[in-house]
Amino acid sequence: MEQLIEQLKNQIIEALNFEDMTPADIDTDAPLFGEGLGLDSIDALELIMLMDREYGIKLADPKIGKTIFRSVRTMAEYIQTNRTK
Amino acid sequence: MLNGQPIAVQETGEKMLVELYRRYAGDYPKFFKMDTLCRLGFVAAELLLKGESVDAVVMANRSASIKNDTDYMATITDGNYYPSPALFVYTLPNIVTGEIAIRHHIQGETSFYILDSYEELEPIVKSQMADCTSPAAILAGWCECNGKNEFYAKLQIIWNN
Repeated sequence: MEQLIEQLKNQIIEALNFEDMTPADIDTDAPLFGEGLGLDSIDALELIMLMDREYGIKLADPKIGKTIFRSVRTMAEYIQTNRTK
Repeated sequence: MLNGQPIAVQETGEKMLVELYRRYAGDYPKFFKMDTLCRLGFVAAELLLKGESVDAVVMANRSASIKNDTDYMATITDGNYYPSPALFVYTLPNIVTGEIAIRHHIQGETSFYILDSYEELEPIVKSQMADCTSPAAILAGWCECNGKNEFYAKLQIIWNN
């Protein structure tokens, strides 16, 4: 799991162009939206695309997004259970 | 160049824009999400608007948002269909004038024209100025980007008094 979290942080940094950031700067359990990383709705779409592109996960139900994208850890847990690649 | 004086930089191309952003702004993380055209216009406006305020933004170029358009197109080619929302939002050239207006709290008109030359922008700016009812200042200029390392901007503040 820790390896997946590290990989996911690197993918988030690249996808969202956080040029000044390293994985260590991202709190695994901090909220991704609002406080914490302060992501916006476009970032949310990028994360959805990232899940599809990198892990073969298609999120069809927008309601579950709120739970999945609560933090890097919740994302990683969902990926570990549902990934197809 | 700023007001005819050269600005010393270490980097070239888009890295130069990041260098200038860090030196003259540095407090606007959204900069890193912008495409090169927006980064160019943003940095140029940062340099020019230090201590100045304007009422409107009128800009132009010849190639619209072609660089970002092609980057976006690469994300929707056959066999690799992962359209990037972050790229998509910059597939219009007038986004740069909006970004500048947000940054500098400019509540007047913002517009972006696709023209053959800078000279064609002058009558447009004059017309824009004629519409102003009180002493006004317009940030106007050319902002062209054809690649990460191929861009040109020339901005000026025009007052109507």
